[in-house]
Amino acid sequence: MAELLLDPKIRLWVFLPIVIITFLVGIVRHYVSIILSSQKKIEIIQMQDSQVMIRARLLRENGKYLPRQSFAMRRHWFNNEDTGYFKIQKRVATSQNPMTDPGMMTDMLKGNVTNVLPMIVIGGWINWMFSGFLTTKVPFPLTLRFKPMLQRGVELAYLDASWVSSASWYFLNVFGLRTIYTLVLGENNAADQSKVMQEQMSGAAMAMPPDPKAAFKAEWEALEITEHRWALATVETDILVNEDKEE
Amino acid sequence: MASVHKIIVIVGFISLFHSAFSAAQHRSYLRITSQEFTSLPLDIIIQAVVSLFAVMWGVLNVSGKLREIPAAAELNTVKWETQRNLPSFYIFNHRGRALAYNFVPTPSKGELENLE
Amino acid sequence: MSSKTKDVKPEPVAYSEAALRNNAVVVEYCRTSMAALSGSTAGILGLTGLNGFAFYVLAVVSLWVMFMIKAGPNWHKYYVSRQSLLTNGFFGALFTYILFWTFIYGMVHVY
Repeated sequence: MAELLLDPKIRLWVFLPIVIITFLVGIVRHYVSIILSSQKKIEIIQMQDSQVMIRARLLRENGKYLPRQSFAMRRHWFNNEDTGYFKIQKRVATSQNPMTDPGMMTDMLKGNVTNVLPMIVIGGWINWMFSGFLTTKVPFPLTLRFKPMLQRGVELAYLDASWVSSASWYFLNVFGLRTIYTLVLGENNAADQSKVMQEQMSGAAMAMPPDPKAAFKAEWEALEITEHRWALATVETDILVNEDKEE
Repeated sequence: MASVHKIIVIVGFISLFHSAFSAAQHRSYLRITSQEFTSLPLDIIIQAVVSLFAVMWGVLNVSGKLREIPAAAELNTVKWETQRNLPSFYIFNHRGRALAYNFVPTPSKGELENLE
Repeated sequence: MSSKTKDVKPEPVAYSEAALRNNAVVVEYCRTSMAALSGSTAGILGLTGLNGFAFYVLAVVSLWVMFMIKAGPNWHKYYVSRQSLLTNGFFGALFTYILFWTFIYGMVHVY
């Protein structure tokens, strides 16, 4: 395989611009998605519901440390037939279909605008503007299998597989620069896809149960069957026994 | 201290770029004089490697402090005042409010029912 | 001394979640920089083939040694295990390394 000699102008006008364009597009995408991203609004009623659920659960789990009357009083507040919180609060089940929720729709649209659209537009533009150049050579031998991957747009059967065409160089950059965005923009940047996953994770902890009515019903039942057994009934003797042992 | 390491990083970067330019120059010189490329001159290699290690050491120190991972290490620094800060026991509707000079008592539930 | 401590069942150690994550971020930052920088250096030196991969291994090991020097003798305070510090993210950073290697090699040696 004869050594090819590339024009140094390709380096200046094709090879370097592709790297810079890919990098800058990633940065711009990060800031655009920050501008477009809407802070998730939390309804006060949702907040109230989730706090009530937490309180009911705490009462169920730790109610044994309360005197019987205090426990009954708290349960009464939640579960009384006429005035109990779980009984009088009527919640409508929120719709879970994202198509009916306009806020969800715009979020999805924004995600597409910032992620997919630039990929297509810039990719197409790079393909059109810098098509048909050999840009570089990977410094290690590769098998012929890699030819379609690395030499997109340059179909030369006898070319060594380690040469890289301009279109493939763009794609290598798109995938390879992701870690660099983490370096430059900090953790959890929008140029990186893994952010979406994290948001879902943290969202699950904060969010209300999808259907407050059913959750209330379940919590009501659980509270109803909770039996109060005061854990501190024999506290004096327990402590005294421990004291004796230590001495 | 950190600024010293930042200077190391910057100087190392410049040195790395310089060695890259030297290598490119060397390569084009060899091409013009049509000699075969065997390896770079030793000074460029040394410059590149030394600046690599300098930048790595600098980055390691610039990147931030490592925190001690045992949970006890964090707890040891917690003050007694912070220990007492329990969000579950916050009271926003405190009766001491009534002592303020501009306090207006809110109508009680019984009064509201009488109004209707 | 060592045989005696091996007999005793190690006490379970509680780690602080936030501190672990913070350290992981710092380590990741260093690893990515290291991959990019050593890739550039390999490109400058014009390493090809297996030499380049050997250089990567050398860079990974030297970063690990630097971590150890920085942490000092009581590295237990900062990392859960020394081995995982060496091996974690080996292949993730390799991709960055190869990209920079190819990039700088192309810039310096191909044209």
